Amino acid sequence: MTGNAVVLGVSLLVWVLLFFYLWRLDRRVKELEKR
Amino acid sequence: MDREVRMIGRLALFLWIAGWMVAAFVWAPLVPVLGETTRVLYFHIPAAWVTVLALAWSMGHSVLYLRRRRIEHDHHAAAAAEIGILFCVAATISGSLWAKAMWGSYWNWDPRETSIFFLLLVYAAYLALRSAIEQEERRARLSAIYSALAFVTVPFLMFVVPRIYFTLHPDPIINPRGKLDMDPRIRIVFFAMLAGFTGLYFWLQTLRVRVARLEHRLDES
Repeated sequence: MTGNAVVLGVSLLVWVLLFFYLWRLDRRVKELEKR
Repeated sequence: MDREVRMIGRLALFLWIAGWMVAAFVWAPLVPVLGETTRVLYFHIPAAWVTVLALAWSMGHSVLYLRRRRIEHDHHAAAAAEIGILFCVAATISGSLWAKAMWGSYWNWDPRETSIFFLLLVYAAYLALRSAIEQEERRARLSAIYSALAFVTVPFLMFVVPRIYFTLHPDPIINPRGKLDMDPRIRIVFFAMLAGFTGLYFWLQTLRVRVARLEHRLDES
């Protein structure tokens, strides 16, 4: 179970990081579109 | 209002994928033959699905560009091809890790591995072609022709070749008997991840097209 928990934790971390990167990118693009 | 709906949609996508990721580990059973590697299924096949979807999207917009000559279609076609390659690489890497666990080696030049390698080469050439032409209209026209023709290889390389030759790769999800041989819980998680990846693809696609539009505006000014 420990191994599975590590893999799940890493997968979730990668997803969180990717999501927030895309979220910030989206906001930045929106700002540029407004100019 | 529109902004709020979009924000809720994105948060829903985040929770959807995260939730089903957890379900893949704690709720869905393992396939006896695959053991712990069963979970690769929820990433590998949706990535391959998005590859086909994105490359089809690229082909569709390439044809539309050739008919209407609107630069917007070129932006869509290029964005879709880039994302398609990205997901194809993800599917190849996850498949390779799976192959190591199941067949003992990362790369075996199995028909499915060989065909995915050729597919990557075909679309890498598309990106090379785009970067080699400076003039926008010419680049859009030639890339559209290339993309429309390149897509012919996709069903052939992804679906036909692996069915003609002997392959170590397991049966496709819907096997030749037309049945879906999956435990119901695995099926639910699998289709939920497929839907999540599709949502992620459309978000990436929209984002990349908006960036291309900004670049285009910048070039014009």
